[in-house]
Amino acid sequence: MDWLFFAEVTLAGLGSGALLALTALAFVLIYKATRVINLAVGEILMLGGYLFFAFSAGFGLPVWAAIPLAIAGGGVVGALVERALIRPMLGETPISVFMVTVGLGSVLMGAVELVWNTDPRALPDFMGATPVFIGEAYVSRKIAIGFGVAGVVITLFLLLFRFWRGGVALRATASDQAAAYSCGINVPGVFSLAWIVACATAAGAGILVGAIGGISPTMGVFGLSALVVVIIGGLDSVLGALVGGLLIGLVEAWAGTFLGGEFKLVTTFSLLIAGLMIRPYGLFGTVEIERL
Amino acid sequence: MTDLNRRHILGLAATAGLASTFLSTLSAFADEKELVIGGSIPLTGVFAFAGVAIEAGISDFVKIANEAGGVAGRKLRLAYEDTAYKVDQSVAVFNKLTTQNDIHLYYGDSTGFAKTINEELNRRGSILMAGASFGSELNNPEKYPFQFMAGPDYVEMIAILLEYIAKQQKGAKIVFVNSDTEFGRDPIEASVKRAKEMGLDVVGQIVTPPTAVDVSTEILKLRRANPDFTIFHGYVLAPLPEFLSQAKQLGLKSRFMGTFWSMDNSLWANVGAPADGYMGVMPYRYYYDTAPDAPILEKIRKLRPTYQATGYMQGFLTAMLMTEAAKRTLEAGKALDAKNLKASLNTIKDFDTGGIIGVPISIPGNSVPVGRIYSYSAAEKQMKPASDWISLKK
Repeated sequence: MDWLFFAEVTLAGLGSGALLALTALAFVLIYKATRVINLAVGEILMLGGYLFFAFSAGFGLPVWAAIPLAIAGGGVVGALVERALIRPMLGETPISVFMVTVGLGSVLMGAVELVWNTDPRALPDFMGATPVFIGEAYVSRKIAIGFGVAGVVITLFLLLFRFWRGGVALRATASDQAAAYSCGINVPGVFSLAWIVACATAAGAGILVGAIGGISPTMGVFGLSALVVVIIGGLDSVLGALVGGLLIGLVEAWAGTFLGGEFKLVTTFSLLIAGLMIRPYGLFGTVEIERL
Repeated sequence: MTDLNRRHILGLAATAGLASTFLSTLSAFADEKELVIGGSIPLTGVFAFAGVAIEAGISDFVKIANEAGGVAGRKLRLAYEDTAYKVDQSVAVFNKLTTQNDIHLYYGDSTGFAKTINEELNRRGSILMAGASFGSELNNPEKYPFQFMAGPDYVEMIAILLEYIAKQQKGAKIVFVNSDTEFGRDPIEASVKRAKEMGLDVVGQIVTPPTAVDVSTEILKLRRANPDFTIFHGYVLAPLPEFLSQAKQLGLKSRFMGTFWSMDNSLWANVGAPADGYMGVMPYRYYYDTAPDAPILEKIRKLRPTYQATGYMQGFLTAMLMTEAAKRTLEAGKALDAKNLKASLNTIKDFDTGGIIGVPISIPGNSVPVGRIYSYSAAEKQMKPASDWISLKK
């Protein structure tokens, strides 16, 4: 056994898992507050990559300005979508809202194709090219940066949910909307906030994913991989997104290396089925008990 | 306001049906002097970048051909719809277009569609088909008698790369990297066998999942295999730039190569320094090639002053070859059926493509096994020829 190789593969798996976790966070934030599974997260991620491309390559803005603008752009899209499409659907069946997000994904993809056309593109390099070595183990620089960013963002969200009033309001809304209303919490405001923050997070993830794999109108499929993460981790758990992301990242890396790349998805989805059978609400998801 | 009951609605529907039948009959008469190229073209979806270029290429060929008087007295027309690169949608478009138009030439968007629709082509016996697929399975005149491709199939593309490698470095170490898709898997088995027959050393095969973004683990495998040449297949752009970028970070000496769909100049233009030296096989000249024996490229540049992608050349040449087959069939006074069209196509020998391909071509079967190696120069932001044209011998 080549332990250095194993360590390198493991680090690579953790790095790509962190990217999945960051994207999964966008699913979790919206679901936690509104009980809506937003299938357009992948397309908002894609839009984030394109917004960064537009600000940096199109308008020639420096990276330090283009990144926050792209993230803010994602947040603005989140606010508009919530106000114009999701809030009018309040009270409708979950499947109706779910289908709205499916449609939203197609609309975003079509809009990007119209504005930036269908060609795949590479983002301007802003992460540098010097390789990172942990001891003797090689880690891709972009993956190391992605891991760092995802770690910081997820830790921040865990702290916000624990200590910030807005975070507590979101948890209260997630727990019981009627009770939250009666305590004076602005529930529609919480919904808006969740969409804004989640879409901004997805847009940020889009910049990282785009920096590694390039951008194209179809890069939103990455969001589907993150959906697996939230199902395993728990749809309403931030910690679940982190653990699920790292777990999937590791399993994919080990399967891809030691079994072959063609086994990556097979292994991931086998894990998903096994996970659902053992813990249908995910590793850290809230167990819902319905009493008749 | 008029009240519509069921009888009225049925009456209106029957009238509308009769009217549309009458109109389509009239339209068939009007189209008698037309030669319609049908197309299931992916203008959206994962292959849209190519579909948009292909549509432009076919449309321009149609325009140029019509300005030159058409084909044996007939005007060419392209009738197409978007398929989003989905087989079921491509089949639906095929059924719709072939019902509405008298189509004898058809452009399909994928290997999957070609394999699905070929039985229907055989049953109808009236349509010659080509398309975006260079799938090696389609390069079988017995199984796919009414199909062809305007270039080498994927196995032939890699064979051209291998010929180049064998000339550059005897016994070179090779790693194949392919996506886990029908497109990606297509040539691998045959290419590994061919490489071994040519005395090349295949030191690894790496498969990436279809949605792969991060390729760190694959790079680690590549680093340990340490090949002289790495051949990618089954990709357009991602994740190749990341492969190249990380390989350079690690100081790997391997030269990276790809096949036709990953060879577009504009795709590599904004990848920057990591793209430098990326090589691959191209069956056609690039838009900007000013070779004196390529007058058609000059004409294309006048028609479209900005760069046109490789898909454009593919669409243009496919339409040219289809039309040539139709022209030969009509001039011989034969019926425009699939058998005659294919037989006419197979009479194409030492044919001048106007310089799209740098050597005269022949189509004895279903493919045109010719290509040239190009290498990307990041400084000049252009793919530059790295070899002469290579014609495969059977």
